Formats: sequence, structure tokens, C-alpha cells
Amino acid sequence: MSDHQEHRVVYVSHPGSGLARSNFPLVCHVAGSKIIRSLPFHIPEDVRLYEIKTSRGVYKRPRKEVQMPLAYAWKRRVHAATRVKYPLLRDDWSPEDPNPQKRGSSGYSRISWDRALDIVVDQLKRIREKYGSMEPVLVQADGHGHSGYMQSLHFWGHYLFDMIHERLGWGWWTQQVRNPDSWEGYYWGAKHVWGFDSTLGEPPQDAVWDDVLEHSEMVIFSGNDPEATGLGMSGSIALEMVKWLKKAGIKIIAISPDLNYSASVNADKWIPLKPNTDAALYLALAHTWIVEGLYDKDYVRTHTVGFEEFKRHVMGEDGGAAKTAAWAEPITGIPSHTIRALAREWAGKKTSLSVYFGGPKVRGSLSHLAGRLEAYVLAMQGIGRPGRQFLRTGAPSFYKKSLAQIPRYPDVDKQGIALNPMIEYAIGKGPKSPVFIPRTLATEAILYPFVEWKGSTAALAATEDQFKRYRFPPTDGHPGIRMVWNENGSQPGSWGHGWKWLEALRSPQIDFVVGIHPWLENDIPFSDLILPAQTNFEHEDLISVQRSDLLAMFYQDQAIEPVGESKSDFEIHRMIGQRLGLDEVFPPADHWLKAAYEGTLASTKLGITWEQFKEQKSVIYDCPTWDEWVAIKKEHGFGPHDGGGLHAFCSQGGRLETPSGKIEFVSSRIAALDPGNAERPPLATWMTHAETKGSPKSQKYPLSVVSNHPRLRFHVQGDDIDWIREIGKVRGPDGYLYEPCWMHPSDAAERAISSGDVIMIHNQRGAVLVGAVVTERIIPGALSIDHGAKMDLATLKGKLIDRGGCINLIVPSPLEKYGVGKEIKIPEMNVSGFLAQAVKIDVSEIAASTGLGHGSTVSGQLGKD
Amino acid sequence: MGKKTFLIDVDRCSGCSLCIIACKDEHVASSYSPWTRPQPDTGHFWINVQPMERGRIPRVRMTYLPLLCQHCANAACIKACPEDAIKRRDDGLVWIDPETCTGCGLCVEACPYDVVYMNDELGIAQKCTGCAHRVDEGSLPRCVEICPHDAIVFGDETDGVLGEAGRGEAPEIYHPEYQAQPRIYWKGLPKPWITGAVIDAASDEVITGAAITSVDLFEDGSVTVRSDEFGDFWIRGADKDRKYRVEIRKEGYEDFLAVVTTDGDQDMGTVRLNKTR
Repeated sequence: MSDHQEHRVVYVSHPGSGLARSNFPLVCHVAGSKIIRSLPFHIPEDVRLYEIKTSRGVYKRPRKEVQMPLAYAWKRRVHAATRVKYPLLRDDWSPEDPNPQKRGSSGYSRISWDRALDIVVDQLKRIREKYGSMEPVLVQADGHGHSGYMQSLHFWGHYLFDMIHERLGWGWWTQQVRNPDSWEGYYWGAKHVWGFDSTLGEPPQDAVWDDVLEHSEMVIFSGNDPEATGLGMSGSIALEMVKWLKKAGIKIIAISPDLNYSASVNADKWIPLKPNTDAALYLALAHTWIVEGLYDKDYVRTHTVGFEEFKRHVMGEDGGAAKTAAWAEPITGIPSHTIRALAREWAGKKTSLSVYFGGPKVRGSLSHLAGRLEAYVLAMQGIGRPGRQFLRTGAPSFYKKSLAQIPRYPDVDKQGIALNPMIEYAIGKGPKSPVFIPRTLATEAILYPFVEWKGSTAALAATEDQFKRYRFPPTDGHPGIRMVWNENGSQPGSWGHGWKWLEALRSPQIDFVVGIHPWLENDIPFSDLILPAQTNFEHEDLISVQRSDLLAMFYQDQAIEPVGESKSDFEIHRMIGQRLGLDEVFPPADHWLKAAYEGTLASTKLGITWEQFKEQKSVIYDCPTWDEWVAIKKEHGFGPHDGGGLHAFCSQGGRLETPSGKIEFVSSRIAALDPGNAERPPLATWMTHAETKGSPKSQKYPLSVVSNHPRLRFHVQGDDIDWIREIGKVRGPDGYLYEPCWMHPSDAAERAISSGDVIMIHNQRGAVLVGAVVTERIIPGALSIDHGAKMDLATLKGKLIDRGGCINLIVPSPLEKYGVGKEIKIPEMNVSGFLAQAVKIDVSEIAASTGLGHGSTVSGQLGKD
Repeated sequence: MGKKTFLIDVDRCSGCSLCIIACKDEHVASSYSPWTRPQPDTGHFWINVQPMERGRIPRVRMTYLPLLCQHCANAACIKACPEDAIKRRDDGLVWIDPETCTGCGLCVEACPYDVVYMNDELGIAQKCTGCAHRVDEGSLPRCVEICPHDAIVFGDETDGVLGEAGRGEAPEIYHPEYQAQPRIYWKGLPKPWITGAVIDAASDEVITGAAITSVDLFEDGSVTVRSDEFGDFWIRGADKDRKYRVEIRKEGYEDFLAVVTTDGDQDMGTVRLNKTR
């Protein structure tokens, strides 16, 4: 137990982030099988960092690189009580009698790897014999799990089935496609205004900080929270960027229903608005600008189309109400004088708008309308002109056309680090398999006989794809989904319709569910066979640092021996591949890593061999000096303080990817391809629907739930860590640690709720329990409950509820949310801004579930070495 | 040997909790002889971050107080310990000798800052050692090293930690009335604010540039601020439990006067000014 024992230093990839990209690693001190401590990484003095030189000072980044708190507590998960140490088979599953309804309530028994692999291969063969292809296998793997170049990558399921198709000729599989889960409003909406398919619907960030730090006077944080999502994904550079803004004297205005973590300490002004009413606010801003002549008329004339129709709509000349600040006040909850003051400030100061994955606006119902209206108002203020940018406060910088967001050598951008081609299964132009289902519709694909939608949801799909009709099953008479390959273990805590997903997993249609995961948590205990995966501490890997402002690679040594018989995700799929005779396409991990490394500049330019790299453990690329950077920018058509993705469009007559080449207030593509769509008309407007206040449902469920990315978890990851729980939860009167729920004092008073009370949040989809935090940090009428709390099923007065506060259990499905028209829907995720009611409960009426959820607490079969 | 000291800059703390986790990472299940034995898995906060929610919607802010052992020169815990188990190093760091501590708990009760914890399993009292084991190796305490905002600074008093990192202002002491002579210095300890928004009663437009003056009713001195582009005004750094006369003036409007008692942060809400006739 003494620190004075010798320890090894091992670089271990930050657990969050995922998609084969990492942040700077944890510096772990390891002695024997014990991870003594995890320290932040310090960039050595001999690495040249960048300087952004402006008339308002020089901006740098520190050499210390810190990750989110969860990262330094991650070692607690290695030997967690829920750790899956051996292959586990559900006690009442057999090929002949799978007992699907017992999933989630059965116990498990340890089996050998040999038997586990036999079962997997037998089931695949059975599917093929019975149905003629692998199409009945739904493969859920979207890579957003642990970071690590390949060993912990959640894509091997797709690769395995791709190879089964290609090499064995067993046919396609059903590919679950990752939807644009934290940028929905830009993907489904803003793309129709300004294009930017390759940067997910958001303007590229080329050299954007040079412009902002030189010119901007105000930055709007539209639900942006660098202290939560930014730190979690990008590490401490996200926090540094906010400091740059402050140092430059730039005013920060936070617009969000909640006073989020960054806004609560950094914002000069918080403008609380009711959830999902950003669209109405934007219309009222436009109204003020039009009436007072406060917009960039030249820009609108030369760089946009369709403004006159928008103007008529705003002014109420199309038969609707004029979209005045007074009109918006009751909708948004923002006093009309504040709306007009914001409009004048925005127009009078060089203003940029800042987001970074998530925030309530882009993840709510009909968020494509807010996304488009946001692009409209940015266009009215001349987006792309100096100081008027769309700004992302954090990495990754694949949000670019040709230059990084901060000074970096272009060749380092192109070939500096290894990018795993597996990413294309999640961030690609379209699904590899022609048989696919968006992740938002996975539940419906199992439970409904037939689902139809528009848009593949693939991250880099061309905008036109959003008008294509897709269906599942792909043909009439198709068997649908019969087997689930769950390499994510996160569906009920991160996506919509969670209770229904648990129902889908228990459907008699599903013969076999494979879970591949290190822990018995979330929906993994609804599996028939669980294959034990590893944490990052237990294997070697490459750490490809791309989720930072800098680019680097590290070699991750194995820190500790694997727990039990766990294997890396890669090895698990490799073993299955070998059973199927696919050895050739599953070379050993080291071969794969070596080949990837040898394609990078570290090898090709710096001449560091793979063996040397494994010895020296890291390569961190220098940044250009300011003078070099200015020269690089000149070659790309940028002046020293030019930047942003619309620079060329703005100043050099460049074209956007829209049909007109300009910013489109009225989308010519929607007008041509889907003109009658009531949900997504050619001109974006404010719309009410089933999940807004005033709908019939809101009589019964009057509160609107905001659900953000958590600060202390990474999506569903880490909610089981004792250190995280004791600081992040609310201790109920029964001593149980409940997920916090923010509620305004006025709503609490109406319901006789006090801080620390246990309350039930419920709607027609079910109920979860949370701990009340009565606070001024949330607008009246709204609740804030972060997503990803660990499910803990229980009963309350005999009814099944979730005591863990996993709010996604009761969020809408994309198929139900609108109630507008009958047209075929885009499968937008809606995890924020949906209706519910809150009621205080008596904790003595909570009982442990003896049915569903029981399995998740069974540990008797685990851990016996 | 120079005396070690911490400087805590409250204005920089975002409440991220990294210091709490780093402290646990260092001390749970690890022993650092002679300074301390392992911290229990949960329940101890050798450093804690106390959140203070301030204000009313929409003028709300968070202030966080990172609180660790104040390594007092006049330490109540040392005086309370019947076994002389609580000692002060030459560098000023105060530690509880786990070999001598009998776990009587008197120090827990005596500490006015409430930062000493009982380890029931080991039968001893425990607290922040200032990461004495790391300091001896020339490293920074974990909470200092991890802090992404440099809100916690550590160093030798003589090296000018307070002067340089003190960023110009004289450091403060948390709860000087305890008379414990703490060796942790603070900057930006919260003081009440007086805030509100100024609106034109007739036009329902915000009024920018109004002069808001707070006059201490019983002491000399007044502070004047201007309302900003949203009509908001903030008088920061008022003294606690005082009475102020607040005057709101803008040319062309009737003056608005109120008396405010700073028993906490004060939000005067939306103040509607009438035009002079």
C-alpha cells in the first residue's frame, strides 16, 4: 500500500470520447496489478506550441493537459462489482427455447471461451441456414465508447459482418447507423441553409480563432457548455478557449433554459428561455433587425436567396402574426425588452455564435427549425465577416476545409496521426450494408412490422440523402431482426424510447442477443451471451490524439493484467473471425497498429521506426510559428487575421454547397424534393407540436425536460464510480443516491417539493425517480436531468420504474414526436425538451424489482476465480 | 525552510471537481508514511468544493469555495489533541501522525473549518497533508497540479507565491474571526452584490447607462456603476450586513431610491423608471 514501491509509468487513453480518436493520455503510475494514480499529461518543453498574435494580445495554450474528472476516477471501474470477468450465458436461454421474455431478469453462469465461441458461431450459422443471410442480425456498434485506436473500438462488429459478407458470401447484415446525435439541428436543418455536408452541417473552423480573437466583441453561447461537453470531449483546451475570449475582452452571452456549468461562472449575461423555443427567439430578433434596419443588407442581397419571403413571414405579411419581441415573449419566456436589447447588441457588436456538440437546442423536437433559423439570423448579420463567426469551443478539428482551427502545419493535419478506417462505419457517407436502420429507430425496427423514414442518418451523407425514402425490413416477407449484436451497451441511457428498447430486447422475435462489454450494466443484462471486454488499462494500443488542438500519438502499454478472462473488443471479434476462417482479415493487433503508424509523418518524415516509437512512447508534433502560420494562411487565401468556414464565400465570391451556391432562407432543395412536408417546409418557421406547451398532452404533463450531456459522466459511462456518485448525486431520505433533477422554486412550491426530496418524473412512456435540486439555474416550467444515469429498475406501488433516474427511458421516439401531418419522417432524435410531470413520492413505497432488472443486480455468478 | 502556502482564487474556480477526484486518486488505498495512511473509499473530502448558488433568475451565478485544511499557525486541532499527534512540519504543513493518533475525534470537533475526518476503519483522524509526500519530492499537491483553472496555487511564501500569483491584491483569510491564523490565503472571497435591471416604464425598453449608486448609510463611501446594454447593473463587493441607499439616476427620468440590506446578495428585480414630465 505504500507509495514508495517502484512504479512503472504507462500512458493510458482517456476513457471517453471514442471513435478511435483520443485526447492526451492519462499518465498512470502502476505497481504490479495496481494503478496507483493517474496524472495529467504535460507537454514537454521541446515541443513548439502555437501563438495566436493579435492586436489584443498573444494567445497560447498551457503545457498541462487535463481531462474530465471521470478520467482520473476510471481506475475504480477495473474491479467494479459489475465487471464481467468471464463469458456468461443466461441461465434460461437455449437455442431451442430462448425464453426471450426473461431477458433482464435471469441470472448468468460462467462458461468457457470455447463454448461461448461455439454458441456464437452456431447461432450465426443457424441464422444463415434459416433465413439465407446475415440480414436478421442487427449490429449495434457506433464506436463512441472508450478511446483507443483499435483494441477498445466499438466497430469490430460491423467489420466482422462486413468480412462475413465479403469473404464468406453469407450476405449483408443490418447495420445500425449512428444518427447525428449531438448536432441534429444542424444536420437536419442548417445544411439546407448553408450546406457543409463534410462538417456535419456546421461551418468549418479554418483558422477561426485568429479572426475571433482579433475582431469579435461578443460571443453567444447557444447552450454551449465547455465545462461539461467540451472538457469531456476535447480536454482542457475547451476551457482554455473560454479564457481566450475573456482575455480578449469579448462579452459572453449564454442562451439556454439552464444556467449550465460554464455559463454559471463565465457568462456576462444569461438569457434563460423555455426549452426548444430558440426558433421563436430567432424570429423575434429578425423582426427587430428588420424594423430597425439593423442587419447587413448588402450581405443579404449578395450572399443569400429567399430573404424577401422570410421577411414577409417575420413581418406577418403572409397571414400569420408579426414575429415581434412581444409575440415571442410568452413563447420563449424572455421579456420582450431583453429580446430587443439582445437584437441591438448582436447587431451593434461583432458577434459570433458558439456551440460544441449538444446543448438543449440541437437535440430537441423539430430542432431542424431552430438550426435553420439560427443560420438565417447569422446570415442577416453577415456570417463570415470579421468577428462574425460560427465558433466551436473545442476539438476535433476535422471541422475544417483546409486549415486547422489554430496554427498547425497542414501536412501534420493530413498525415500526422493514424486515423482508423473503421470510423467510416459511424462517420461515413452512408451505411456500408444496404440493409440498415438509424439508431433512433432500432426499437421500432424490432417491435413494428414495418418502418419507413427519410434519410440514412449517416454523418457525412450528402444533403440529398435526406429526401430518400428508406424502409425496414427492406422487402416484404423479410424476417426482420432476429438477433442483436450489442457492442454499445448504451441504448436505453442515451437514445430515445428507452423503455420500449428494453421491451424490444424481450421480444419473442429475437432469438439471440450477444452483449460485448466490460460491465453488466445498462442493456447488457438483457443479453443471452455476454462476452467480457476490457478496459483501456488491460491492453496495448495506439493513442491517436485528435480530440485536442494539437496532434500527437502515444503508445499505450498494457498497464495491468486483464481482469478474469476478458479480451479486448478487437480480440473478441478476431477470435470469432478465426472460428469462421477469417484469419486473413484479422491480423494480430500489433501488425495492424504498426501498419497504421507507418503511414504517418512520424514514420515517413521524422523517420521514427515503429520499434523506436514503442520505445519512446510518444510523438507530439510541433506547431508553426506565427510567421509560418501567416505564410501558410496566405497560400490558402487567408490574411493573417482572416478565418472561418465562410471566409472565401464572404470575401472572394465563393459558392456554398446549396443548389444556389448561396445561403438559402427558402431551401430550393426542400422546395424541389419535398415541397409539401408540413414538418420541414422550405422556409423554417416556429411550430408548436405535441411536445410543446399548450398541446393537449401538456395539460397532464406540463413540464419540459431538458437533458444535457453530463459533466461527471461520459454519456452513460462512469455513473457507477463511487467517487463520481458521492459528488454528483442527491442523497435521498433513504440514503440512496438519486440522479439530480433541477427544478425552479416556483414549480417546486406548486408541488410541495424541497431539495433532497425524491420525485417521480413521468409521462405516458413511463417513470423514473430522481432527487430534487430546487434551483434558480433553470427557467420555470422546465426540468434539467442529464442523460446517461445508470438504470436501476425497481417498483413503486407495484409499478415498474427506474430508480436510477435514466431519463432517456421516457423520451420520445422520432416516430411519435410531431403529430404534424402524415408524411414520412426524418428520424430526428429528440432527447431534450419533451413533456413530463413531477410528483414527490414516499420512498418507503419503493421496492426492489423481482422481475425485470433483477438480472442486473445478480452477481453470484460473477467473480469466482 | 520557507513556509509553504496555498493561494485560492475563488474567481477562477469553476467547480469542476477535478481536485476532489485527484485527491482521492492519490490517497484512497495508498499510504504515505509517515504523513498519512489510506483515505477510505468514500466519505472523506480532504479537499471539497462548496457550491454557492447566488442570485435569482435571470441574474444568477455560481461561486465555488475549494476548501481544504487551512494549515493554521494557531491550529485548534493541535490544541485539542490530547496525544500530541497533530504536528506542524518546518515548512508549516500540519499533519496528523497516524501512529500516534488514537481516534478520539476531538480534533474533528475542534476544527472550525470542518476539514478533519474520522477514518472509522483505521480508528484515526485524517485530513489534507498538503501532499507532504509529494512536496518532499519537489512535486505539487495533487489538487494544485490538476486544477485546469489555476484556482489553487502552491509554493513558498518567500518565493512570492502570494505576490505574483496573488495577482496584485492583498490576499484574504477565510473566516479571520476564528483567529486560527490559517496559512491558506484567498482571493475573491464572495461579498454580497446588489443587482437589478432598469427599464423604461412607458416604452418597455431597457435603459443603458443609468447611474446606480450605493451609499453606505453608516460609513463613508459610495460606489457607482452603470446599467449595461441589457439594463442590468451589478454593484459587486458590497460589505455584508450593511444598509445601503441605492440611487438610480438617468437623465430624463425620475430618480429611483431604495434602501437595501446586504444580508446576502440582493436583486432589486426590474426597476421601472418614469420619464420626468
